[in-house]
Amino acid sequence: MGLRMDAAVGGAGWAEAPPPYRRGFLSSGLTCATIGSGPLGGKAEGLRRARAVVGGLPPEPGLQVEVPPFVVVGADVYCEFRRRNRLSTVAGGSDREVAAAFLRGELPAETVGDLFDLAREAHVPLAVRSSSVLEDARSQPFAGVYLTKMIPNQALDPEPRFRKLAEAIKLVWASASFATARAHRGTTGHGDGDEAMAVVIQAVVGRRFGPRFYPDASGVARSCSFYPYGPARPEDGVADLALGLGKTIVEGGRCWTYCPAHPRAPAPFGGVADVLDRSQRDFWAVDMGTPRYDPTTETECLVRASLGDAEEDGSLNLLASTYDPGRDRIVPGLAARGPRLLDFALLLAGDDVPFNPVLRRLLASCAESLGGEAEIEFALELPPAPRARPRLGLVQLRPLGGAETAVAVSEADLDDPRAVVASARAMGHGAIASLGDVVFLDPASFDAGRSREAALEVARADRALRDEGRPYLLIGFGRWGSADPWLGVPVTWAQVSGARVLVEAGLPGFEVEPSQGAHFFHNLVAARVACLHVPLGGPGRVDWPWLQARAEPAAPGALVRRVRLERPLAARVDGRARRGVVLRS
Amino acid sequence: MSSKPYNSFEVAQGQFDRAAGTLGLDQATRDLLRWPLREYAFAIPVRMDDGHVKVFRGFRVQHNDARGPSKGGIRFHPQETLDTIRALAMWMSWKCAVVDIPLGGAKGGVVCDPHNLSPREQELLCRGWVRQVARDVGPFRDVPAPDVMTTGQHMLWMLDEFEVVQGGRFPGFITGKPVGMGGSLGRTEATGYGVVFTLREALRETGVRLESTRASVQGFGNVAQFAIRLYQQMGGRVVCVSSWDQRDQKAYALRREEGVDLEALLGITDQFGGIDKDQARRMGYEVAPGEAWIEQKVDILIPAALENQVTAETARRVHAGVRFVAEGANGPTTPEADALLRERDVMVIPDFLANAGGVTCSYFEQVQSNANYFWEKDEVLGKLDVRMTSAYQAVSDLARRRRLPLRDAAYLIAVERVARACRDRGWV
Repeated sequence: MGLRMDAAVGGAGWAEAPPPYRRGFLSSGLTCATIGSGPLGGKAEGLRRARAVVGGLPPEPGLQVEVPPFVVVGADVYCEFRRRNRLSTVAGGSDREVAAAFLRGELPAETVGDLFDLAREAHVPLAVRSSSVLEDARSQPFAGVYLTKMIPNQALDPEPRFRKLAEAIKLVWASASFATARAHRGTTGHGDGDEAMAVVIQAVVGRRFGPRFYPDASGVARSCSFYPYGPARPEDGVADLALGLGKTIVEGGRCWTYCPAHPRAPAPFGGVADVLDRSQRDFWAVDMGTPRYDPTTETECLVRASLGDAEEDGSLNLLASTYDPGRDRIVPGLAARGPRLLDFALLLAGDDVPFNPVLRRLLASCAESLGGEAEIEFALELPPAPRARPRLGLVQLRPLGGAETAVAVSEADLDDPRAVVASARAMGHGAIASLGDVVFLDPASFDAGRSREAALEVARADRALRDEGRPYLLIGFGRWGSADPWLGVPVTWAQVSGARVLVEAGLPGFEVEPSQGAHFFHNLVAARVACLHVPLGGPGRVDWPWLQARAEPAAPGALVRRVRLERPLAARVDGRARRGVVLRS
Repeated sequence: MSSKPYNSFEVAQGQFDRAAGTLGLDQATRDLLRWPLREYAFAIPVRMDDGHVKVFRGFRVQHNDARGPSKGGIRFHPQETLDTIRALAMWMSWKCAVVDIPLGGAKGGVVCDPHNLSPREQELLCRGWVRQVARDVGPFRDVPAPDVMTTGQHMLWMLDEFEVVQGGRFPGFITGKPVGMGGSLGRTEATGYGVVFTLREALRETGVRLESTRASVQGFGNVAQFAIRLYQQMGGRVVCVSSWDQRDQKAYALRREEGVDLEALLGITDQFGGIDKDQARRMGYEVAPGEAWIEQKVDILIPAALENQVTAETARRVHAGVRFVAEGANGPTTPEADALLRERDVMVIPDFLANAGGVTCSYFEQVQSNANYFWEKDEVLGKLDVRMTSAYQAVSDLARRRRLPLRDAAYLIAVERVARACRDRGWV
């Protein structure tokens, strides 16, 4: 029987760097190690801290908390790989060309034995994540810019397992030279030479269900929220939950957002139909079948599955509720017949698994360890009792980016006649001056079915303004950076990285809740880019006539318009009061 | 006072006798393993470029094939003797067994100096050698490989001749072929890298950081070059290399305190590993007599040239700071020198373990050739490292438990495996 990458629970965390990799790493009971040398990068440092936090938690009989075993390939290995394979010259090519060149490269001979040994020993799906020295830092986030590759790691022979592991590492390395990463480094004042990327190889938390492997639930939780709703306060934090791999959350897909201090508070939806319409419908899993061969893509070994698949797998028991059309209400659990929806009601009720209290303690400990606000990523495995104990795998810990400066924006300020934009649902802190340009989606021509075109137009405008060194105000409809084009404009972070203030406005027939789950938004928050949500009908407003009157002439059929101002706009955002205004002078 | 000339085979038999005694092998097994199963000695007539025919002496010795087809290189060397070949064939049996690959041991050779032969004459010699043994070798009987002063080109000529004789395509007949012609990626690096993989484990085990060590290397052929490359990539510093000067017919040691520049030296090296000493001097290297390599103030010695180089006499000149000897060559240390080094607490990683990377990768090449499916270099080197490390750890573990030198522990493991295969087959 193959070894599992099962983590040791509790015990003392280590403050020093993970020890060097030793053959037989997993069978020896170790749970972390380093291959090669050099900096460990942001993610690995986060895991290092996470281990210390988890080691200090009191044991919880109903839920095992752990940091899944991981191996860090040091950043020096990446540098040597690039140097020996002369890869700096391909950095200007297309992403596919760069990926192909990296995949052709040979791994440094000093490391292949350890990697082969790891592939030989591990028999669970592995996540290969970037751990850049520039990534996940407090003020210069790269979360989501670099790739994470999951591999099933299930072949009987070690050779194919090693091949996929090597390919995954090379692809993650390659992503540091992709266009998105280069652009992002540019906006954060870094050159390509500043980058050094370690890689974290970590066991995926989850269970196998036939041709799929996935955690019952994944989550992102923050100790402070700029989007509190209902009875929640910013300091109560926020959590996003999704069925399956956390990719759904970090890419801004449909997930369940709740406040850990008020797990039973009604979710911010406009009724049962709204919940049914906007809750998660499909999920990501590791493909344990026969994935198509395409090592240049991040999703090569992933598969999307439906709620129906999950119900057949038996993984919805604590996560889903049922819509009772006769009474037009949602009934927790799967006992009733009817459409299923993911609201995690039984899990959050805590009768079976003490998930939420443990999460709150964990989040508080993480914040205490950091001496500031924390953001964590986790995955839950909920095997049917009494077969095994449920477990929560902490897979990432990082500081939550955000400004400490207090800027007061009163209710009265929202009515300031100089306000081009006023929002009572603002994200971010601080004052931003010198907004000399505005890029906005014209409400007169907006079409949700053409949001991909709109994204490209926005990207072109962003590139032009960045080239000129002009920060700007960006106004659109729905969620910026949504992976789902029907929920917003599917731009990447790099495509709007020149914007200093984003506005998400509502339109008749197109009203979308803001998301806090996406890496896009993490980047936005930690880069101190303000985001103002302006729902249709208020509170708040966008002064469309003022903008349209000053917009430059647009080509026929254009979705995006631009304004260049002689006297720049100034933005003020009060994150704790959740108010923000953009004022003309 | 007279001293008996060094005889590799007597040394090999003595080593076997000691292991057999410790293992308590029965007499029949001892008699079987003390001598080769089969020996072929033959003449190879070659018409030289000037029209006359010269007859060369050739050998193939198959020591034991109980664990699988026998495996071993072919050497072109003017001082070649049957006893040398016998010893090397026996060591191949132990080498394959200690890294636990399913092969037996063999060795071959031709008494010649390829420096003095044109490419055409070398080709005829290779083809002649194959014609003499074609009935007794093959992918599932005995698989030759390059060795001292033989190259991938020689192997390709031999393969071609074998396929002409047998009528077919048999890429698994021979290893060390050029990549693209049935060769394995990583084969060129394998022996030298294998030396460093075992050295790395020895350093780890004794708590010595490789990055803080210095080494002196004897020889600058394939094994030495790649051992230097990987060792330096891992952070070590090679301060001295010695190489054979064909013109002067003697070796020189090249010293550079800040570490040798491998790429620069390769630029002034001939195909047999001879470094141009005059150019090296101009590049800032101190040129000393060849034997100076052993006197260097270093932590590690890597003899990677010929056998019988660390002797009772030269071992006394080993610097007091030396703690490790990684034997890249076959049989570089005499038993007397071995004892002297042991007294000084120098850890010797024995040849048939340290340089087993070559045969391990040859085995990989054989597997790939027989399947006609070839692996990526990452995979070859990854598997090589894992196998070499596992072999080292097994030997080291036994050495620790039985309080034995590594060489004795390696012998016990290897001889016991071969003896067990002979018993299991019902031979003894």
